Amino acid sequence: MSRHYDAIVIGTGPAGLSAATRLTKMGLNVVALDEQQRPGGQIYRNVEGAGDDRLNFFGPDYSVGLDLVNEFREAGVIYEGGASVWQVEADGRVCYSKDGESCRISANYIVAATGAMERPVPIDGWDLPGVMGAGAANNLAKEAGLTPAGKVVLAGSGPLLLLEASMLLKKGVEIAAILETTDFIPPVDSATKLPKALMGWKLLYKGTAMLLELQKAGIPHYRGVRNIRALGAEALSGVEATVKGKDLSFDADLLLLHFGVIPNTHIFRQAGCQMVWDEKLRYWYPGCDSWGRTNFEKIFAAGDGSRVHGAVAARHKGTLAALEIACCLGMIPESERDAIAEPVRKAIRQDNFPRPFIDAVYAPNPSHFEFNNNTVLCRCENVTVGDVRKVLDEGVRDLNEVKSITRCGMGPCQGRMCGPALAEIVGDYLSIEPDRTGLLSVRPPLKPIPLAEVASMDLGDEGTDGGNWLLDKK
Amino acid sequence: MLKDSTISTTEFKLDQPPTETVSVLLDGKKVELPKGVSIAAGLLSIGEIISRISPSAQKPRSPHCLMGVCYECLMEINGVERQACMTDPEEGMVINRHLNSKGEDA
Repeated sequence: MSRHYDAIVIGTGPAGLSAATRLTKMGLNVVALDEQQRPGGQIYRNVEGAGDDRLNFFGPDYSVGLDLVNEFREAGVIYEGGASVWQVEADGRVCYSKDGESCRISANYIVAATGAMERPVPIDGWDLPGVMGAGAANNLAKEAGLTPAGKVVLAGSGPLLLLEASMLLKKGVEIAAILETTDFIPPVDSATKLPKALMGWKLLYKGTAMLLELQKAGIPHYRGVRNIRALGAEALSGVEATVKGKDLSFDADLLLLHFGVIPNTHIFRQAGCQMVWDEKLRYWYPGCDSWGRTNFEKIFAAGDGSRVHGAVAARHKGTLAALEIACCLGMIPESERDAIAEPVRKAIRQDNFPRPFIDAVYAPNPSHFEFNNNTVLCRCENVTVGDVRKVLDEGVRDLNEVKSITRCGMGPCQGRMCGPALAEIVGDYLSIEPDRTGLLSVRPPLKPIPLAEVASMDLGDEGTDGGNWLLDKK
Repeated sequence: MLKDSTISTTEFKLDQPPTETVSVLLDGKKVELPKGVSIAAGLLSIGEIISRISPSAQKPRSPHCLMGVCYECLMEINGVERQACMTDPEEGMVINRHLNSKGEDA
């Protein structure tokens, strides 16, 4: 069976939903591949099954997702839930696994709307049961209506940390402390960004109101916190940290970490897309033109996976990618593409107004990362920061060489959890920026799948092609 | 090897009892999980915090990211290692965490 589409959309968060919906409405044959079982991505997770209580609790920023998913359903996009993409090729071919079976499909264009993930920052004890991402708690609330029952400590940096704290507070959760690594006084740099930020006053107002609520509730809230440590022998029992030379200690049943959000780039890196380093936000993103087209003609990046600009911008970026694809497929002339795109671009600019301010306050500061030698860096392979520094002492310089010697980044997560910190550690050691340390190579399969599944997979009419197409990539 | 399955004091409560459940075989024991939410979330809702024994560290782990990135919720689901945060439970599913093993790959 050969399956060829006009477009394959990977991911059904705001960017994937808008791209797939628009293309399908234009009469194109589109399949949306979603790793989750239900559309919505992380931000609109399980929005169809949330029910009124949850929709009300999370408010319009969440419930707007229901409109997007409804529109997506009504348009009749072919939806493949529970589909894990494990290989993307520049020629438009995609391999994915679903229900224990793999297949290969192809398309004229691919929109990879992979979304964002929380920046993993290893701290002592972050591998203990009971230490989770703040986004994990958010996902559990949206997906299943789950609320932490014991004492919760939130630690890290970024507006989403405070957003999660205020949500937990609203649910009556006992918050033992909020530990922010962000300094008390915003960096001078952020003040110059203010006037533009005021144009996004709604968002800033929301942030200020959130802070006041947390303050009113009397939650211990520290800024300029360093050396956060999760304590416990086999599971979390408490959290320690230092602030201005003073030691802090809290009992905790759950530690939620959050250090900002970075693009989820494994698909782009596996496909061989040109990656660009953002020096200020300290993350890699796929280089794109203004429609989201990567250096490969057939591969587009849309949404936070291309750069983190939030849900509203992500939806618009999905639209832009769809417009260009529709134009290239002859569905609309360039004039129409540009006319529809103009207000969309304007909306993106407007939505981005407060971002320079937020980024200036919360931009990751490498001097805030501790990276103690005994901290587990690679959770999968149990490699410590010290293990990596030891091979650096021995003269190893290349990230992938560090990987092959220490096994850091070689486990099932393929360096998703350790890669960013590994680059910071190597960069710091060599006194260079992480863009010069290189990136860990990402190879198919992007997700661990049984070899038998690959052997028995449906390759479509084309059958096998020359060479070992699975293993012969990069 | 997990000495005590109640080592973790982490706890989650469901805001509302599940409207529908499915029964699965968890480590040989029949348990009810909420229908229509991932296995990872469902297990957390019934107090099963430990998701696996890390094969490299041989220590217990719990799900960390709940969005398909960290692979700490890998468990044997119907005979195949799968991410529990991306898999829905089905009636009669057999889930094994191998918590009493030394953490070798299942």
